[in-house]
Amino acid sequence: MNENKNLYGVTALFDSANEIIHAAKEVEKAGYKNFDVNTPYPVHGMDRAMGLKRSTVGFFTLFFGFSGTAFILLFAYWTMSVNYPMVIGGKPFFALPSFIPVTFETTVLLGGIATVVGILAVFFNLPSNNHPLHDTDYMCSVSNDKYGIVIEAEDPKFNENEVTELLKRLGAKKIHTVMNPGKESFPIFEGRFVVFLILVVLVVCGGTYFTLNKVLYLEPFDWMLEQDKLIPQEKSTIFTDNKGMRTTIEGTVARGYLPYPFKGQTIPTETLANPLLPTKKVLEFGKGKFLTFCSPCHGNYADGDSRLHGQFPNPPTLHSARAREFGDGMIYHIIVNGQNTMPSYETQTTSEERWAIINYIRALQRAKNAKLTDLQEVQKELGVNVK
Amino acid sequence: MEVDYSTEAAVVEGNLRLAEIDRIISRPIEERPGKKYLLALSISSSFLLIGAICVGLTLFYGVGMWGNNQPVGWAFGIVNFVFWIGIGHAGTLISAILFLLRQKWRTGVARFAEAMTIFAVMTAGLFPIIHTGRPWLAGYLTPYPNQHGLWVNLNSPLVWDVFAVSTYFTISLLFWYIGLVPDFATLRDKTISKVKKTIYSVFSLGWRHSNRHWQHYEKAYMILAGLSTPLVLSVHSIVSFDFATSILPGWHTTIFPPYFVAGAIFSGFAMVVTVLVFVRKVFDMENIITLNHLERMNKIILATGMMVGYAYGMEFFIAWYSGVQYEQFVFINRAFGPYAWAYWTMVSCNVIFPQLFWFRKIRRSVPAMFIIVILVNVGMWFERFVIIVSSLHRDFLPSSWGMFVPTLVDLGILLGSFGLFFTLVLLFAKTLPVVSISEIKAVAPGSQPSHAGNHNE
Amino acid sequence: MSEVKESLNNNSAPEKVEPTYWKSFKELHNSNEFIEASHHEFKDGVTDEFELSKLSHLSRRKFLALLGASAALAGAGCADYRDKGEIIPYTKKPEEIIPGKANYYASFSNCCKCRCGILIKTREGRPVKVDGNPDNPVSQGKICAKCQASILGLYDPERLTSPLKKARNGNFEKISWKYVDSEIRNALLKSNGKGIAIIAHTINSPTALSVLEDFRKKYPNTRIYSYELFSEEIKNSAWKKCYGDSQFPLISWDKAKVILSLESDFLGSEGNHIENARLFSNGRDVNNTNKFNRLYVVEGNMSLTGMNADYRLRLRPDAQFEFVMSLLNEVGRKINVDIAGNYKLSAFAKKYSLLSKTLKYLVNDMMKNRGAAIVYAGNSLSEKTHIAVNYLNEILGNKNLYRNETVSLHPYSTKDEWSELVSSMNSGRVGAVIHFDSNPVFHLPSDSGYKHALQKVDTVITLTELESETSLLGNYTLPVNHSFESWGDAKTRTGFYSMQQPVISPLHDSRQKEAALLCWIEKDGFEYKENLYHEYLVKNWQENIYTGLKAGLPFKQFWLGALHDGVVIFNENVPSTAGFNNTALADLNSTADVSGFAVVLKESYSIGDGRFANNGWLQELPHPVSKVTWDNYAAVSQATAKELGIDTNDYIEITIEKRKLKIPVLVQPGSADKTITIESGYGRTKSGTIGTGVGFNVNVLLTSAYGLSPWLFSSAQVKKAGGSYEIVTTQEHQSFDIELLKDAAQKRGIIREGTVNEFLKNPHFLHENSEHKLDTFYPEFPYKDVKWGMAIDLNKCLGCGECVVACTAENNVPVVGKEQVKRGREMQWIRIDRYYSGSVEEPSVSTQPMLCQHCDHAPCENVCPVAATTHSPDGLNQMVYNRCVGTRYCSNNCPYKVRRFNFFNFRDNFNDGYQLDNIFSLVYNPEVTVRSRGVMEKCTFCVQRIMEAREIATREKRKLRGYDVKTACQEACPTNAIVFGDSNDKEAELSKYRNHNLGYHVLEELNVRPNVTYIAKLRNTHTEEV
Repeated sequence: MNENKNLYGVTALFDSANEIIHAAKEVEKAGYKNFDVNTPYPVHGMDRAMGLKRSTVGFFTLFFGFSGTAFILLFAYWTMSVNYPMVIGGKPFFALPSFIPVTFETTVLLGGIATVVGILAVFFNLPSNNHPLHDTDYMCSVSNDKYGIVIEAEDPKFNENEVTELLKRLGAKKIHTVMNPGKESFPIFEGRFVVFLILVVLVVCGGTYFTLNKVLYLEPFDWMLEQDKLIPQEKSTIFTDNKGMRTTIEGTVARGYLPYPFKGQTIPTETLANPLLPTKKVLEFGKGKFLTFCSPCHGNYADGDSRLHGQFPNPPTLHSARAREFGDGMIYHIIVNGQNTMPSYETQTTSEERWAIINYIRALQRAKNAKLTDLQEVQKELGVNVK
Repeated sequence: MEVDYSTEAAVVEGNLRLAEIDRIISRPIEERPGKKYLLALSISSSFLLIGAICVGLTLFYGVGMWGNNQPVGWAFGIVNFVFWIGIGHAGTLISAILFLLRQKWRTGVARFAEAMTIFAVMTAGLFPIIHTGRPWLAGYLTPYPNQHGLWVNLNSPLVWDVFAVSTYFTISLLFWYIGLVPDFATLRDKTISKVKKTIYSVFSLGWRHSNRHWQHYEKAYMILAGLSTPLVLSVHSIVSFDFATSILPGWHTTIFPPYFVAGAIFSGFAMVVTVLVFVRKVFDMENIITLNHLERMNKIILATGMMVGYAYGMEFFIAWYSGVQYEQFVFINRAFGPYAWAYWTMVSCNVIFPQLFWFRKIRRSVPAMFIIVILVNVGMWFERFVIIVSSLHRDFLPSSWGMFVPTLVDLGILLGSFGLFFTLVLLFAKTLPVVSISEIKAVAPGSQPSHAGNHNE
Repeated sequence: MSEVKESLNNNSAPEKVEPTYWKSFKELHNSNEFIEASHHEFKDGVTDEFELSKLSHLSRRKFLALLGASAALAGAGCADYRDKGEIIPYTKKPEEIIPGKANYYASFSNCCKCRCGILIKTREGRPVKVDGNPDNPVSQGKICAKCQASILGLYDPERLTSPLKKARNGNFEKISWKYVDSEIRNALLKSNGKGIAIIAHTINSPTALSVLEDFRKKYPNTRIYSYELFSEEIKNSAWKKCYGDSQFPLISWDKAKVILSLESDFLGSEGNHIENARLFSNGRDVNNTNKFNRLYVVEGNMSLTGMNADYRLRLRPDAQFEFVMSLLNEVGRKINVDIAGNYKLSAFAKKYSLLSKTLKYLVNDMMKNRGAAIVYAGNSLSEKTHIAVNYLNEILGNKNLYRNETVSLHPYSTKDEWSELVSSMNSGRVGAVIHFDSNPVFHLPSDSGYKHALQKVDTVITLTELESETSLLGNYTLPVNHSFESWGDAKTRTGFYSMQQPVISPLHDSRQKEAALLCWIEKDGFEYKENLYHEYLVKNWQENIYTGLKAGLPFKQFWLGALHDGVVIFNENVPSTAGFNNTALADLNSTADVSGFAVVLKESYSIGDGRFANNGWLQELPHPVSKVTWDNYAAVSQATAKELGIDTNDYIEITIEKRKLKIPVLVQPGSADKTITIESGYGRTKSGTIGTGVGFNVNVLLTSAYGLSPWLFSSAQVKKAGGSYEIVTTQEHQSFDIELLKDAAQKRGIIREGTVNEFLKNPHFLHENSEHKLDTFYPEFPYKDVKWGMAIDLNKCLGCGECVVACTAENNVPVVGKEQVKRGREMQWIRIDRYYSGSVEEPSVSTQPMLCQHCDHAPCENVCPVAATTHSPDGLNQMVYNRCVGTRYCSNNCPYKVRRFNFFNFRDNFNDGYQLDNIFSLVYNPEVTVRSRGVMEKCTFCVQRIMEAREIATREKRKLRGYDVKTACQEACPTNAIVFGDSNDKEAELSKYRNHNLGYHVLEELNVRPNVTYIAKLRNTHTEEV
């Protein structure tokens, strides 16, 4: 059993491939487990000589390769038909044939990466730059043109003298003992290096932020965010008042907007006739507009019961005799011109809306003071007999 | 000189000892660069500079700086892309396929070819980005949900390209690096300079030439080769899909995938020969990169050249046989239309001149092969030009026909791509072992146990 | 966001309510507590110390409070967000304006003498597009390219911004109107002894005329001259000789069964070609094929009309007289009217190697359809030719095809009047010349000496929008309003007046030209008001015109109605044609000497007489026949080119008497030998950045002492001048001699045609031997409810290109400039493909509007890596600009090559940023993205209009119907050749075309399933031709 705790193992160098093969066989026969052979290049038949089992890297590749396949197919399905489906060239969302190339590529990619990372990390557990064999003449010669064998101290059968004997007998040229290095030092944790790392991180992050948020929006990069077209309510320095929206010109007539001819007269010389018939559609429409524009003051049923609870001077009811005697044209005139405290509703309402509102008001007035005949009418329509 | 083909020619000539191999291969890395080297580097880097300026112009003013126009949406940009991707293929072919085929002679050239693959793919990779109208949005081509919450369109051959090329690049890089690890270890144990030692240590990951590792290592190497082989075939097939899956007469052809792969290998080998001819001279490695290597590659050039020639012929036959008038028109227009000069340059460079390689003398004469491979490179560039431009400039509607005229910027960028490639190659040749040390050792005479260690079975 | 915050910030203090009537004494006496109470908007307890927590759940104020909080939060959150600029709403919103909603104003444009009715589309009080006014009885909602493009003229950054006065050192300096007015008043009064000349284009506004009259009242020695570079004066004088009336009538093309057009481009540039095209195309209705009219064209150069001919003969224009005479004889013999002179048609045919077969058909057709076989001579032909033609029509009994509806308020000045003016100018008898928005220095013949004489005049005033050759020679250059800033009226035809109203107040310090005159009539110190002419106009109508109309309405309503409709229609009797005056035949015996080369000057299709030279849209509009942009050229036949030893782009030198012109040629298939046709209007030396130096000025060939006609010269010498130029076209020159390229479009089935007889015999002839099954690998995508589609009737499409300009205006398509067009990078979304077939001497021409076909299996969509172009559920092939990275793969894979790529930011690239001028922001359609560099674009089927229609439908709670949407090109098409709508709607007009026997898809064998159906063209030739 090994007494020297510091001892890593005993190394021996040989000159030719044949010798090393022979040596390896012998050492293996002698029943040593923890030994290794170092040669500048793979020597044929060495694994058999050392009695190694077949490598299992292949399964690694296989597994990750197929997981790649599965992943990309799911990815294709999810992105193209679930997350953001689009009709492309009349194809169905999941058009398998055209996904095959990427599937293959991803398979290879994952398989390949897995293989490399696998052998390095899992099979070789590299990196290991502080292995005791490093920086020994032994290592220098085996990485050049010598063939070496090392028997480690961990080996249960290890006994320095016996080992040395065995190796001598096998005709080793040089025999050394290799000590374990003292306490390990990790240059990675040196202060200067850490500072350097931090700096790198800062530069990278800052650079990325700056590029993505500033640089990419400078000339000549164009994201079409600012387009030199004028959209509603935009400022425009072309006009002296900086208003992108212009007003109409006095006296012009836009299509479908014949101006109200009696504007400004308190008592109109003449009034217009109502072009709309009180159909259900019109009344529905008028009701909506009435509730939007008129009800806040005149109340939902035009009783003059303002929703503002009389904090304003209450507007008149529209069921007064006066209001009922107004012609449609007169009401229209009032809506356009305003009356007393009531402002003009010209800009809020289109003429169609006004006429619809008037029709609705008429309906309300009618409803408020219905005659018996009306009731009979209703009964006729509903076919029921209301007492 | 007489060669006996009955026994396989020695891979490493002049009966070098292992230490010798070390010395030869690592010499370029350790010595200071010579005049010749610096001259070469300055030329290539000035080309690179010109290219950079032209790319700058393109980025600032737009793709309008190029000659592209309405019918001809793609021209130099994509031509260069396909050309350089093609160049890459030889590397993978040598390192992977020849490895699987147990072609020992590959060891001499594999490392270099792989490096060229990587540099070529890097060069090629630039073009899809700079050819877009808004390169600052190139990120949209990668499969992530961009700010429109949108993913890529996996139906598009361009997206297939993104996958194929990036995969190809990654795998080639890993393959190359894996091959380098033992060499890094060797260099690490060889060098005396502290700095170099740290660097090599980092990259060698503490490799110990342990045979417990070699075992897995060889297996993994084999697997990677196994993966790269279909990969390399798929990459250029997918590049060819850019054209084959379109509906444009002259592009819409089922022969494209094999035809492109053959062409790629063809041009790739031509480029490898072009470069190696210099390298073996400059770093006197005649014994490691031997004339046999070159001759073998010339044979492959001859073979693939004829495949390409067959494809040219077959295209015409199919066009005639299909009875589709658009197809027929495009091919007649190629051979006799406004771009006939390009077509015939292509045919003569790719099909006619390589035939000279039937003669052993020419196969083995360095100057002769150099001229021919240069012609092949030119020819293969024009092949892509012919396919892309001459198909686009006159398609279905005569009303939309037009002509493509390259601008100075176009030419500058083409020049720049060569600048970039050769700059990278030169830097590589001076910083890393251009030949795989461990592999060469493994195939050096007498390096393997005489009875392959299988006595007592 | 920010406006929300603002609205939260202004916690407006309740104002004191002034009671206008009283409910209680308290209120009447304004008792404090009442005021106190009325100061609180709401009852006690609600307003005081308002606390969120105290409020009930469904409180409006709580909602507002939360809204405010969230707004503030969001505002803080997006601190780093790009600022979208401030928002400026209306303080007092005009009734008719709703931000984001378009208004339309009926008006007319001053762009040509036709005064076609237009509807100006305005957004927030800014004109953004011009459409036709359907109420106008002449144009009926259709307008020409010039009119479409006039919106660009309004926003031309180089318009004069203020009055200019020529300083001592010869260059112009800004000066205020105030000084201008007084200075000019004095000048006019001083020159009172001498004469004052006002030089205008056609005057067809009654009110403007009365302004001029008033001006003349004030300055009695004023004389008014009016001219047009291209007019019908020869035609009219001939007509006067034949029928006594001074106005050549209009033709009812729709009634004519056979049309013989002699050197006339009545479909392209002569008369009101929009109206002509509409009437003509009535005889081209595929649903009424046996009513097809037959068009014979005899011309020297391939014109738009020639392209659409059923039979076309090449004849040098100076031989037209001989031709008409021979025809006259032939016809005369058949109907025993003896004609002076011994002209033999057969001999003539031999002499000019015309197809005698065609002539036979022609004569037979005329005899068969007497009374409906109109013969129409072009404006450029000589007077006697016109007389002969009038006589031919007379004996053919075509009188009922005449419509004497043309009205001329003011005659054009004659040769003599001009020469008299020039001489009196030279002798200093003219004190002041006022150029009334005219450019005589460029237009008048150089040998008239006008330019020289102008230096002799003390005060030369030029009222104009842009500086011009003429304004440079004057002392005052005064900016005038664009037609969209002007009031006006016009009388062009019997039966109605057209009204003009402004839609935006003048952008610059300009005045309406009539107002300027009115201002000078007044005595010094008179204050100019913006509505000066408006008031004058109303007054004039109220007092003079309205009274005459006997309209039922009171004037105010009448007036508003008139402005609303844009036209005032009333009963006016149309004078009937008088009897033919045989003395006119006296001139017919002498024959024109046909020698040397014949040179014809034509009005430019796009830029007119040069007025539109500074309009990029029109400069870039391809010539309908040659597809040339940004240039004019000398069109010659191939034989002539060979003879001169030249080819396209080579310079030739034309010499007529002393007058010389060096100009590049373009070999034009189908043009007559020894004939040279050139378009006028180009070669402006002073017309802003765009127009200056574009093309060649052919007005140098004009002479005031012309023989045949002002625009037609015989016996010109032409020789190779050496050197060459670069004419750019949007379509490759097609070669006729290479077998591979010959008739490619026909061979490929892109253009499919037949004859009327063929169709009548067998309606299915088109698809008979083109049966192919189109399978798909995937199931069809189901398009529910609306699926947009288009049909284009090639029988009606004349290839005029109005649609191209309309599309450009609607979709913010940039101008790229000659250099880029040369590179093949023009951006127009719709193009008119033109294909020749047959021989280079006698080609037959086919046109085909080509735009995005919105294929169901769009090849462009499959290849876009970033899904920037996909299909919408209503069957549109969408282009999503802000996804596009610009790989151009879609364009490569588009079999129709209708995609357009922004290789540069063309607005920046063209004329170093000319289109980046701030004012261009007003031209752009607010509903359409302004595309940046590096983005692919293409026809969207006017998706913004579709969306608008959908909004309306949703608001009105109804389904969206196909006919709710009209695309810009469809609106613009003068012949309604374009039909757009819902292809799922079986009743729609669209389906009628899509399922028509003549309907076909271009490249349908590719199985991309295009959604644009073309109706094959039927040529109305004789059966034997088949």
